[in-house]
Amino acid sequence: MTQEALLAKEKQVVNKKVLVGAVLAIGLVVGLYFVNRFWIAPVTARGAKVMGEHPLAPEFSLTDLSGQKLELANYKGKVILLDFWATWCGPCRIEIPGFVELQNRYRAQGLVVIGISMDDGPEPVKEFYQQYKMNYPVAVGDEKIGELYGGILGLPTSFLIGRDGRIYAKHVGASDPFVFEEEIKKLLAPPTSGEVTEFKQAGQVLPQDKIEVGDPDEINSEVPGVNLTKLSAEQKEQFKKLLGEQPCTCGCKMNLLRCRQVDRACSVSRKLAREQLEQFLKTKA
Amino acid sequence: MRRILVGSVFMFLVAGLAAGQSPNPVVEARVVMATDAAHAGATAKAAVVAQVAPGYHINDHKPFLDYLIPSELKLEPSKQVSVVDVVYPKGQLKKFAFSDMSLSVYEGTLVVGAVLQVAKAAPPGEYTLKGKFAYQACNDHACLPPASVPLTLTVKVVGRRVPLKRQNADVFDKLDFD
Repeated sequence: MTQEALLAKEKQVVNKKVLVGAVLAIGLVVGLYFVNRFWIAPVTARGAKVMGEHPLAPEFSLTDLSGQKLELANYKGKVILLDFWATWCGPCRIEIPGFVELQNRYRAQGLVVIGISMDDGPEPVKEFYQQYKMNYPVAVGDEKIGELYGGILGLPTSFLIGRDGRIYAKHVGASDPFVFEEEIKKLLAPPTSGEVTEFKQAGQVLPQDKIEVGDPDEINSEVPGVNLTKLSAEQKEQFKKLLGEQPCTCGCKMNLLRCRQVDRACSVSRKLAREQLEQFLKTKA
Repeated sequence: MRRILVGSVFMFLVAGLAAGQSPNPVVEARVVMATDAAHAGATAKAAVVAQVAPGYHINDHKPFLDYLIPSELKLEPSKQVSVVDVVYPKGQLKKFAFSDMSLSVYEGTLVVGAVLQVAKAAPPGEYTLKGKFAYQACNDHACLPPASVPLTLTVKVVGRRVPLKRQNADVFDKLDFD
């Protein structure tokens, strides 16, 4: 065999090795992609220990605005609405009155709302807390705690944690308070086994729970909770139209009339509607 | 075999970067100059052309509400080139589900102008300014944490007799520096 032939053969062998190398490398890349996509990424994204259908909510320990320790472990057995938010986030701000209302309404049944602000420091949060009369613990968090919960990319992000400490729902972006309320009710409900034959009032009876045992003129009103008997039929229509033009500030994104009709227990719209009636009666007097 | 190993390691690195890369940024920005160079002792105009991803908005430099984080161009001055003025565009008035009032925001493409002062004693050469365009983006339902796009601006200083050529007229014609 000539030297040229030997060189050509050697070149062929090298080319084959390069080809094998390239195939191996591509195989590794593809393998790595699938390992990341279906194995590593889902686990790191959840940041929670997955057991069964619902992952366990990761434990955390923070200091709340009043300087007290805020640890998830201290709320075992409660239903928790964990809200990641920030004062600079408009969609987060509109959810807060609704959370205040939910906390009021379901505290006795075992609901705890916890706010984790992603602001840079506590000062704007403290101011906001006072202004919005927040009635649940709030702490300033950071990226680290966000990562525990799978990375908080958009605010607000809320998690609903059941009494068993597992995450049952995650909401990214502002959601309708009724969506939260329905989910909270389900999580607060005791597990049913067989037919329920006896009902007992659980927990403290709050004023807002008493709405349906009040004045029959208020209960049967076209604007629930507001006594319209002093109004003529025409005035009732005018008043309903007026309420239909007023936005409700409970966080429901509805007008006052709609909120009254849909959520009879909402103390915010009830108070506002009654105030509107007083003014309406004054103008008609 | 060595080549095979080197090749595999390289591919691994590429794959690793691809696997760990962050999602597309909401704002992309670039810096352009109004002229191809500048003279010592004179001013020069620069602009940041920022593109906000569809569906998102960023706040006006002077947002209507105190709690909103304004968009801001921050350029670090050097000994040879300082920043005299920054001109922000007028925001668009838009109503969002989370606010009772209309807000002034930037959507789509926005251009922020900057007037630079070249030091009298600046010898001919290239001078680099570092900076960033800071913003906080939201859509109608959610907000993203405050972020910024890093910027690098190179100002070429030439002798006083060297004529300057206008460039990027499409950008600068829309800017009102007055």
